[in-house]
Amino acid sequence: MIRLLTVLLLGALVVPAVAQGQTASDLLAQGIRAYAVREYDGGAWLLKRALAFQGADALPPAEAARALMYLTATELSRNQRDSALAAARRLIVIDPKFRPDDQVFPPQAIALYQEARRNAPTVSIRALGDTAIRPGVDAFAVRLAATTSPDVTAAVTAADGRVVRTLYTGPVRDSIDVRWNGLDISGNPPPSGRYAITVMPTSRGSRGTWTLRLPLELVRPTVDTTPLPPAPPDSLLRPEHGDYPGAWRALLPGVLAGAAIVVLPKVVASGERPSNARLIVGGTVTVAGIAAFLAHRPGRTLPGNTQYNRSLRENWRRNVADITRRNAERVRQARIVIRPAAPVLTAPGAP
Amino acid sequence: MKKVLALLCLLPAPLAAQRLQFTFGGTGAQEIVNSRVDPAFERLTGLVLGGEGLVMSDRLVGRLRYAQGHVTGAAGSSITPRDIVEGEALVGFRAMPWLTLWAGPSARAYTSANGDQRWFFWSGRATARGSLLPGRMQTFVELWSSLSGNVRTPATTASGRGAEAGLEMRLGQQAFWGRLAYSIESGHATSKRETVEAISLSLIYGLPQ
Repeated sequence: MIRLLTVLLLGALVVPAVAQGQTASDLLAQGIRAYAVREYDGGAWLLKRALAFQGADALPPAEAARALMYLTATELSRNQRDSALAAARRLIVIDPKFRPDDQVFPPQAIALYQEARRNAPTVSIRALGDTAIRPGVDAFAVRLAATTSPDVTAAVTAADGRVVRTLYTGPVRDSIDVRWNGLDISGNPPPSGRYAITVMPTSRGSRGTWTLRLPLELVRPTVDTTPLPPAPPDSLLRPEHGDYPGAWRALLPGVLAGAAIVVLPKVVASGERPSNARLIVGGTVTVAGIAAFLAHRPGRTLPGNTQYNRSLRENWRRNVADITRRNAERVRQARIVIRPAAPVLTAPGAP
Repeated sequence: MKKVLALLCLLPAPLAAQRLQFTFGGTGAQEIVNSRVDPAFERLTGLVLGGEGLVMSDRLVGRLRYAQGHVTGAAGSSITPRDIVEGEALVGFRAMPWLTLWAGPSARAYTSANGDQRWFFWSGRATARGSLLPGRMQTFVELWSSLSGNVRTPATTASGRGAEAGLEMRLGQQAFWGRLAYSIESGHATSKRETVEAISLSLIYGLPQ
């Protein structure tokens, strides 16, 4: 007895170390061997580890179904009936047509599987694995299978439950392929994040009795886009109305200089009789100031400048629209990666 | 005087460190000379032609003006005609973008059959400019007053003051500017008074200061 405990203890210590760096298939093979030698605790741990792999490292559907059947039998042998039923239900979701080999598994395990099959919803979902698609061009396909012909609706949902796009509504006879083109309802690729393909029954009697979810991780690679040009700054725009301050600033020096010319002889040479020629110069300077005042066209609209500014803004808008369109095209052409995880069946009514 | 010489020696260094701009131009002026030598009074008019040059750095300005001409009395009068030569050499400082302060000598000499007469002043000046249309049209007013002066012959101390104002306008898109100006100067000495009015037209190459 002490020797057996020592072996078990060593096994418990060694198995995790060995499991590190092993593939899901290696762990499945070890789990099956552990089941064969009735090492159920270690076997259950190994099988769960094998089933925990995600993405490209995950077990293929047929292997996953095999692992779940062994897990069902192992848990049953450990007197963990609920865990065994849970494993059997997962198996039915992956492959509702799975038939356990009665030469390999004991009658109790097969009976438990049949019981789960009788009580479980009869629909399953299967994805091929990680898929890269061009939104709107390619499609990500999943296969829905059912042993009966339930009416279902299948939709891509966001993490908050919001429907991104409805993929299918109707009956599932034997199996159908449902495709998602990677676009949402408005025709745009959704942002990276966690989504799911959610399948629910729609017939009156079975509505809300179960929900089948295929979790998806959507990854959009960074697309090299052109930054949008900034709006034309005020310094590039011309005044659209003549300005009063500028006009007054022009008038003032002209009038002051004109007045100075008229007054200067009295300041510089008082008592002299200055010539009237200064009035010509003073008048000219004053008229020039008034002309400069009017040249600023105070208060008036300047159609030439308005047209210039409008043209400048339109060019900018055209540039922005053009770059936005090209950026959208680049984003649209970029492939998105869809990584499906293990499907989850929620059946509130199931035992 | 030594301080002035030292300052003049130091000027080239700051000027070299700054970008220099030059302007030059020609001037034609109609001058009216009112000459009083108590108790006589003479009024002479005539054309005076001259030129000017200006060198500017960031803040410092130098200006040279020279003109000469001939003035005569009214037709039929017995007033003796005179030849006029006048000039100035000023150094200025741009205290504000619109205000320049000047200092330097100016002189005016008359030559006639009755003998020569020369007025010489050290003066301080201020020139204010205002823009009517930026880069195209501007006005200016310049006032000056003598710091010291003399008139000869015979040699006598003198004082004077004057003013000039006018309009400068860019001619087309070129670097040529036209200037219409009115100036008046008055020199006083014992029993003498000379007042010179002038209306001048100038053509200047390069931006005025």
